[in-house]
Amino acid sequence: MSADALETGFVPERDTGVSRAGVLRRLARDHVAAMAGLVLIGIVLAALFAPWIAPYDPYFTDLTKVMRAPDAEHWFGTDNTGRDIFSRVLYGTRNTLMLGLVGAIVGGFIGGALGILAAYYRWLDGWIMRLVDIMLAFPAILIGLAVAAIFGAGLTAVVIALVVATVPDVARVARGAAIGVMGQEFMEAGRAVGVSDRELIWRYLTLNCISTIFVFLTLRFGQIILIGAALGFLGMGAQPPTAELGMMAAQGRDFLFMAPHIATIPSCAIFVIVLAANLLGDAFRDVLDPRLQT
Amino acid sequence: MGQQIVHRLLISFPALLGVLFLCFCLLQVVPADPAMIIAGPDAKAETIAAIRQELGLDRSIPVQFFEYIMRVLRGDLGRSIISNKMVSEELAMTIGPTVELMLGAMLIAVPSGLALGTLAAVNRGRLTDRIIMACSVAGVSMPVFFIGLILIQFVGFKWALLPFTGRTGPVWDGGLPSLILPALTLGAVLIGPIARLTRTAVLEVLGADFVRTARAKGLRERVVIIHHALRNAMIPVVTLIGLQAAFLLGGAVVTETMFSWPGVGRLAVGAIVSSDFPTAQGAIMILAIAFLSINLLVDVLYVYLDPRIQRR
Repeated sequence: MSADALETGFVPERDTGVSRAGVLRRLARDHVAAMAGLVLIGIVLAALFAPWIAPYDPYFTDLTKVMRAPDAEHWFGTDNTGRDIFSRVLYGTRNTLMLGLVGAIVGGFIGGALGILAAYYRWLDGWIMRLVDIMLAFPAILIGLAVAAIFGAGLTAVVIALVVATVPDVARVARGAAIGVMGQEFMEAGRAVGVSDRELIWRYLTLNCISTIFVFLTLRFGQIILIGAALGFLGMGAQPPTAELGMMAAQGRDFLFMAPHIATIPSCAIFVIVLAANLLGDAFRDVLDPRLQT
Repeated sequence: MGQQIVHRLLISFPALLGVLFLCFCLLQVVPADPAMIIAGPDAKAETIAAIRQELGLDRSIPVQFFEYIMRVLRGDLGRSIISNKMVSEELAMTIGPTVELMLGAMLIAVPSGLALGTLAAVNRGRLTDRIIMACSVAGVSMPVFFIGLILIQFVGFKWALLPFTGRTGPVWDGGLPSLILPALTLGAVLIGPIARLTRTAVLEVLGADFVRTARAKGLRERVVIIHHALRNAMIPVVTLIGLQAAFLLGGAVVTETMFSWPGVGRLAVGAIVSSDFPTAQGAIMILAIAFLSINLLVDVLYVYLDPRIQRR
């Protein structure tokens, strides 16, 4: 244990044998991961700059151009009220991604905090883990349904469901990682030199668990998006006319036999986002934290 | 084994209480005044007061919760606001189809997942392995409704091979054709994860000493793989199925809604959309209990597959 590590409480690189610059290089060498990364960056940029990229107003209905198949004028065709699907997919991706991100970040934060606290304060462990068990007893879709029943359908219901779905698993992973760190010498050393609990938890414990939590969240991100989309599809999420990919697929379902592209294109968009996220998550895991491998 | 199950039941108990409390909230706390909703907009004050008393809304929340649990234990889940039928009756009608759908999905997903995973493991690094793994990643990334939409559009509509709306009856009574597409949709989601984990587990087991011994005894490769490797690889796979139970339930809700399958999930979604609180809480409760039961069942299966667990 170097004095530097004791000082910062952070044991980077050495444990996993991977340097930060090395991570990117190794990801770039993995062609599939590199492709997935590029696709995902492209999607995120497209979603971010949707107002500038979208060729049409996503809410503008044109009843003279109803259910047109994809052509040069409307790349992804038009929906049942003549709205441009390409523009709506851009805006929908924005909402879908945002839901997933909020779910992952808030859920990751709460779950990470719970897991780390459970590992640090042993007396809290039993309570926190029981709470986690109870949360695990509610499948995410059910939470979404219940919250939608209580507060009414909307983006809030979906966000709450996604957070509740993310918290328990992150808490378990964070607790596992934190218990590992707790066994390290520098924790004892830190305590011996009189470092405060707060400092120990944040600088010694949390910073050493963050990469594991991050990898786990990237692995889960695809699933979080899928749950959000499923809730949107069930009508528990974004309400019309807001564009959200799951809801757009559900709306297109009514016109499946006349204009299959209305439902298929948003579904495809979800598939591409989730596939890219999953491939990238797998690659991240292989490079950063092979222990999470199943 | 009995001890294991008792222990598991004890853990499930607080979870069950949580479920009940949530459902109770749905029923009693959520609507600003359930009595007013039930009585309708033009009801007289006395009518509302009478309903309040009938529902026990004039008592304190803990007392109400206790009474709610007592009612649930008696099987009384209230009346649907929309159809005025007993919620328990509605649930009784929908549980069968949901169980049927989930079992059908498992019957499709588990054997194909195990077979594909084993095939990939045995052909490790070869083209077969790569194709199977690529398909499994794609499968995991697909929204349930996407698979459903494709099946409905092609198998159901264009080629008119199978029915794709509603349920014509129980499986044993000519209902099989109407079950195939929904079960395939729900099962397809699970094949990927099962195949992936089976591959890892089989690869791990194939390197174990007892497999080498089995081979050294001169057993045929097929016997070694099926009886020695696959059986031991089943343990993580069973865990996975338990973990995927949440996925299965969620998928069932989506699948039922898509195929107009008269199950609990569709009942729940319909009830929420129409603000039918009693039915919604009943359906959500049944789904949550189903989820707890699946996990319990998985734990029991464990002990059967790995007798070492029992002795711990």
